[in-house]
Amino acid sequence: MSVLEVQGVTVRFGGNTALRDVGFTVGSGQVTGLIGPNGAGKTTMFNCITGMQAVASGRVLFEGEDVTGLGPGRRARLGMARTFQRLELFLSLSVRDNVRVAGDIVRANTRRRFPVDAETDRILELTGLTDIADENVAGVPTGRARVVEVARALMTRPKLLLLDEPASGQTEHESGRFAELLRGLADDGIAVCLVEHDLPLVMSLCSTIHVLDHGTLIASGTAEEVRRSPEVIAAYIGTETVA
Amino acid sequence: MTAFLTYTVLGLVLGAVYAIAASGLVLTYNTSGIFNFAHGAQAMLGAFTYYQLDVAWDLPAWFALAVVLGLLGPAMGLLQHALIMRGLRDTEPITRIVVTVAVMLGLVALSQWLWDPQEARVPEMFFGVDSTVTAFGVTLRYHEVICLLIAAALAVSLRALFVKARLGVLMRATVDDPDLLSLAGHDPDRVAARAWALGSTLAVLAGVLITPVIGGPLEANALTLLVVDAFAAALFGRLRSIPLTFLGAVVLGLMSSYLVAYAPTDWTWMGNLRHSLAMVVLFAVLLVLRHDRLRGVATRSRERYEVPTVRRAALWGGVFVLAVLAFRQIIDPSSVGLLHLGIAFAVIALSQTLLTGYAGELNLAPLAFAAIATVVAFHAGVQGEGADTRLSVGGLVAGVVAAAVTGALVAVPALRLRGLYLALATLAFGVFVSSMVLRDVQEHTLFGRTFSIFPNGNLLFPRLAVGPVDLADDDVFLLVSAVLFAGLGVGLVALRNSGYGRRLAAMKDSPAASAMLGQRLLWLKLSVFATSTAIAGLGGILMSMSLRSVTKDHFILTLSLSLVMLSVIGGIGYVSGALLGGLIVGAGMTALVTLLSETATAHPQFGGTLGLLAHLVPVSAALAGIGVARNPSGVLHDVFAAHRRLATAPEIRCGAVAVQCGLYALAWFDVVGTMSFLVLSSALWLCLPRIGAVLRPERVPGHRPARPEVPELIGIDSDYPPDLADRLDERLGISALRAKVRGSHVGA
Repeated sequence: MSVLEVQGVTVRFGGNTALRDVGFTVGSGQVTGLIGPNGAGKTTMFNCITGMQAVASGRVLFEGEDVTGLGPGRRARLGMARTFQRLELFLSLSVRDNVRVAGDIVRANTRRRFPVDAETDRILELTGLTDIADENVAGVPTGRARVVEVARALMTRPKLLLLDEPASGQTEHESGRFAELLRGLADDGIAVCLVEHDLPLVMSLCSTIHVLDHGTLIASGTAEEVRRSPEVIAAYIGTETVA
Repeated sequence: MTAFLTYTVLGLVLGAVYAIAASGLVLTYNTSGIFNFAHGAQAMLGAFTYYQLDVAWDLPAWFALAVVLGLLGPAMGLLQHALIMRGLRDTEPITRIVVTVAVMLGLVALSQWLWDPQEARVPEMFFGVDSTVTAFGVTLRYHEVICLLIAAALAVSLRALFVKARLGVLMRATVDDPDLLSLAGHDPDRVAARAWALGSTLAVLAGVLITPVIGGPLEANALTLLVVDAFAAALFGRLRSIPLTFLGAVVLGLMSSYLVAYAPTDWTWMGNLRHSLAMVVLFAVLLVLRHDRLRGVATRSRERYEVPTVRRAALWGGVFVLAVLAFRQIIDPSSVGLLHLGIAFAVIALSQTLLTGYAGELNLAPLAFAAIATVVAFHAGVQGEGADTRLSVGGLVAGVVAAAVTGALVAVPALRLRGLYLALATLAFGVFVSSMVLRDVQEHTLFGRTFSIFPNGNLLFPRLAVGPVDLADDDVFLLVSAVLFAGLGVGLVALRNSGYGRRLAAMKDSPAASAMLGQRLLWLKLSVFATSTAIAGLGGILMSMSLRSVTKDHFILTLSLSLVMLSVIGGIGYVSGALLGGLIVGAGMTALVTLLSETATAHPQFGGTLGLLAHLVPVSAALAGIGVARNPSGVLHDVFAAHRRLATAPEIRCGAVAVQCGLYALAWFDVVGTMSFLVLSSALWLCLPRIGAVLRPERVPGHRPARPEVPELIGIDSDYPPDLADRLDERLGISALRAKVRGSHVGA
């Protein structure tokens, strides 16, 4: 079943239409990819899904409920989590505290017993960050800093995990491990949705791929279907206009 | 009808002057991202200089005007930009605010030094009061007509500047993306410098125009607070739109004029309301402003604070209490009051450590909340008669709770918005408290009870008595305040190390990421603001108890601002920074000025020099505040960093403790005076890392270790290390080339 459903979302910045009537779904237990050339509206789409950007028209459904009018905090408490394309780490905290504070927030919100410290250790172990846990997060290289953002998001036990270019800045080895991690998360039943430019990674990892270009959804389907779609080829490579 | 027209036109005139002031403020804010709290102070300096030239030296008005507008205004703006504002890149809002607040305090101190505040200076209108013009039954003076004309011309030309002129477009571009602007071949610094010059000139113009319009003599503090009226007007346009700013200014001017004209005479508090009208308008506007969109910040500011462990904090808390007790033994009993006051201010400053240092929110008027707590405690909890009058625990609690509740009420409208708005709201609240609440000495009848908020303008504030502990005794009071400060300090450190403290840090570092983890930002901000104002309230009650008799002058805004400024100079992220700031504001400044005047009495031949020094004290404090731009983490941050280098050489520290004990013994036997003891002790601990490096060079590193480099930035922010450069050259096959041309290896 689909955890997230986006219906006919349109966003305008002044006279520019950043997204035009975009609709797609993200299913649980899968990795879904959102790709497209630069400026296609991928991050704007993420901002709409998480409530950081108001939509001009359209709806965002999360687990069947309309969340279009809710703020980012409300949506997060319902089970959404995201990472940021331009890293948004808590720079005055250590790696461990960056992850731990997410647990602190969950505990403060739910008022139920939440084993913050044990869970922090588990997540650090799972994401392979134990070796740098006590380092200052400001000194961590970008590739691993992206993993810290994922670890932090995982602390909230999300149902939907939105990753904005998680592999950019990662080495080949790192992104290989990262793909393993995401597959594992999907197997645990989390709906993972990622925006990514590393097409080989997306093609190998995602069961469904949605392609945006100039704010419009031009293709959806499996890696193979998307690869063959003439619109996608046109968007990425361009077509010869015949006079 | 004529009366109505007259009041309308007078309101418009006042609105015109506000508009001139506010548009200057909007201009600088929009080109540099720095909200200039010194705007009013610049207006004040302009007004005084104009008076000096025009009236005191009897120069022609056109000449005086040419000097202040053509020379003083632009010069102040350019100087501000060149010396200070350029250094504020990548700093937190509090640093930016403190720097402009420091400029403001410095200018006020300077003006009170140059122009004796006791002397009344009544500036004249342009063309005198007798040149009038009459239209539709309304008689206007030329001066008022000039105000209207200037504002109208300004509105048109600013609009044209921003829409049509190249400079205006560049100014707008500077705000949006200075880096992009420089890539396009422009110099954002030069654009910003011009904006500062223009903004400062507009401030001066407003300053020259306003006093004759309002009437009365020139008053430095009142003119400085013109900034509050200006920003209330600017808020109409969200600090961005010039046309809406003009609208706001006109609304403000009209309201002020109509209040004078039509308010019922039996509203006794009406006279004071006029002074805080800006604040009322400000809050109304804040309530209707739209919520800011959350967006990522992603840049790293230059402020750094280390977080001590609770154990370490407890240890230092103990050391602090012992040090206070030991220090008490070697000072004159008459100076104990000063020490009380210093600690009370330190408690108030602690509220800033929690709020600003930990949570990144702002409060520019902590003393206003201290005043609220004092007034409520006074009304709620004074028991006994004559010498046995005491404050009850209930009174203390009521005062603290009142401060917390007021804090929450003040913060609610501004919390949805960015930090700057909270700073403005608290500043306006500070003005409101000092101009309305604390001036309210008349009796009111409400629900059948007659009371006055601030009876006779002077509260005789009794000390607390809890069971056997009676704070009326100075030594007991000192012990209790020291223990209270230490306890609060340790408590704050424990709070910072808890989940709550981490959530505060997360909110400060990235509100967007924090919200996306499910944090309720509003509640967190509200809770921390209320807690911090509660601490300020507690400190305020402590301060009133130590003074025993408080007047409104003890809570004035400039004192609040000095306290905030000095806490930032010390290091607002540290409990010790609050201690330093509080001690300097509460005790240090007074002690220094007293010492200087005593020395001047004892040695009259140095009177002139010492008087000069006494004036230099506030000016130099302001200069230190301006210096915060250079070292935004605070003085103590560097001191701590230096002392950490001594960790490998415990014998140096032991030696220093021994020397300190020796100094104490000397002070005990009156071989050295208290002042010398303090100076020598501070010098000892400040220089210890240097001394350590000289005595044990093999164990104490002489300079701080290099910062760890971010791998991606090698070659961009720093040169390639030689071995890496060689390897790169080899791989690129240019080693041969390099042998010929010894170029540098700095990256693009």
